[in-house]
Amino acid sequence: MTNEVKISTKNVDVFYGDNHAIKDVSVDILKNTVTAFIGPSGCGKSTFLRCLNRMNDTIDSCKITGELLMDGEDIYAKSVDPVQLRAKVGMVFQKPNPFPKSIFDNVAYGPRIHGLVGNKTDLEEVVETSLRRAAIWNEVKDRLDAPGTSLSGGQQQRLCIARAIATAPEVLLMDEPASSLDPIATAQIEELIDELRNNYSVVIVTHSMQQAARVSQKTAFFHMGDMVEYGDTTAIFTNPVDQRTQDYITGRFG
Amino acid sequence: MTNGRHIVSAFDDDLITVQAKISEMGGLVEELLGEALEALKNRDAELAQAVITKDKRMDAMELGLEELSIQIIALRQPMAEDLRVLISAIKIASTLERIGDLAKNIARRAIYLSEAKPIKISQSIIHMGQVTLRQLSEILDAHAKRDADLAVDIWNRDVEIDEMYNAIFRELVTYMMEDSRMIGLGSQLLFVAKNLERIGDHTTHISEMIYYVVKGEPLGDERPKGEPIGLGVAPF
Repeated sequence: MTNEVKISTKNVDVFYGDNHAIKDVSVDILKNTVTAFIGPSGCGKSTFLRCLNRMNDTIDSCKITGELLMDGEDIYAKSVDPVQLRAKVGMVFQKPNPFPKSIFDNVAYGPRIHGLVGNKTDLEEVVETSLRRAAIWNEVKDRLDAPGTSLSGGQQQRLCIARAIATAPEVLLMDEPASSLDPIATAQIEELIDELRNNYSVVIVTHSMQQAARVSQKTAFFHMGDMVEYGDTTAIFTNPVDQRTQDYITGRFG
Repeated sequence: MTNGRHIVSAFDDDLITVQAKISEMGGLVEELLGEALEALKNRDAELAQAVITKDKRMDAMELGLEELSIQIIALRQPMAEDLRVLISAIKIASTLERIGDLAKNIARRAIYLSEAKPIKISQSIIHMGQVTLRQLSEILDAHAKRDADLAVDIWNRDVEIDEMYNAIFRELVTYMMEDSRMIGLGSQLLFVAKNLERIGDHTTHISEMIYYVVKGEPLGDERPKGEPIGLGVAPF
């Protein structure tokens, strides 16, 4: 964990039409750190996560105000191409969503469209490295031509992670990446997250408090659009400051 | 900090059971110490023997509470204050068990002392015993009420028991120097006083646990203590 800020957000408000989904949230995402966003359904944690790579751009009624900077540059500046931004800020979703293509092409897709590799050998190398880092290489190396959809759920999710890291992102956003996986696949994903931290900033949204506690160094607790508390994960889970945080993580009525 | 109920109500039942078991252990240990002191005062070897027998129940209760706490941790993955309550419960149970052992040790010495001729110093020790017993009862109350202020008050106050011990120590050493036939009896009384002083220390450990449960941070180690005994006494 470092104290260097990768993404800085200040006084962020998000509206979906009249719905005030995020209220004046300011939080820093640190380099080489896993930050967990926790909170009850509808608290705004996924909405906020999606602000970080402009996934909300496609929603017409969505209005975002405040300051969101990555490496000091405004994420929402007119000059920023959202597609380029998303190559730098990758995302993994709750449900594995491999393309209806081969395992190889799933991973090769990003580097190809972003023109990140010059020739076939380089591309093969990127695919292999990404699959290795996603801890799935040994399971798929003999069937790279098989469709991505033929893999098991846990394998598909790791394939999606391999796809996300193939473009060498600087930040990885994960929205409930292990919620549909069995405990073994979950453990593999958590091990992977811990390893990814060496190279990336990782932000993970999770409903599993144990998972947040296991994988993150920093935790932010969201409640009804407010960010109630942000701090070291160890402090949040042993001695939270705010009563709402305490009630939520101990499973009480808030 | 007042807490609402858990969404999973069986979790509340578990935590209530843990608290009840600590209170039960606390009640028994108060009884052990009270009876050990009673046996000492009244030279009642039979009562002292009963204390020794009864202490076995403390060991079983400690084990039971430990098992229950481990089960809850494994099955419910407690967080924050719930986790602190359970970790502290295990430590408090172990502390109460040790206090039980010390009460038993006092009972053992009471059997020996019931045969010996009474001396004036016994009164000071009985008095020290009553103060210690009161402190033990108070800390158990503080625990039941989650009263961190009372816990800190007791933590600060234990120095009084230390000072009583020092005074008794000096007095007993003087007796033993004056009359070497007093050495056997004096040593027994010295151990009784030492046991009481240790019990006082253990209650401060429970203070620290209560403080940790309520505040979420350690109380610190700057507790006022009596001067180390032996050093303030004239050479002999």
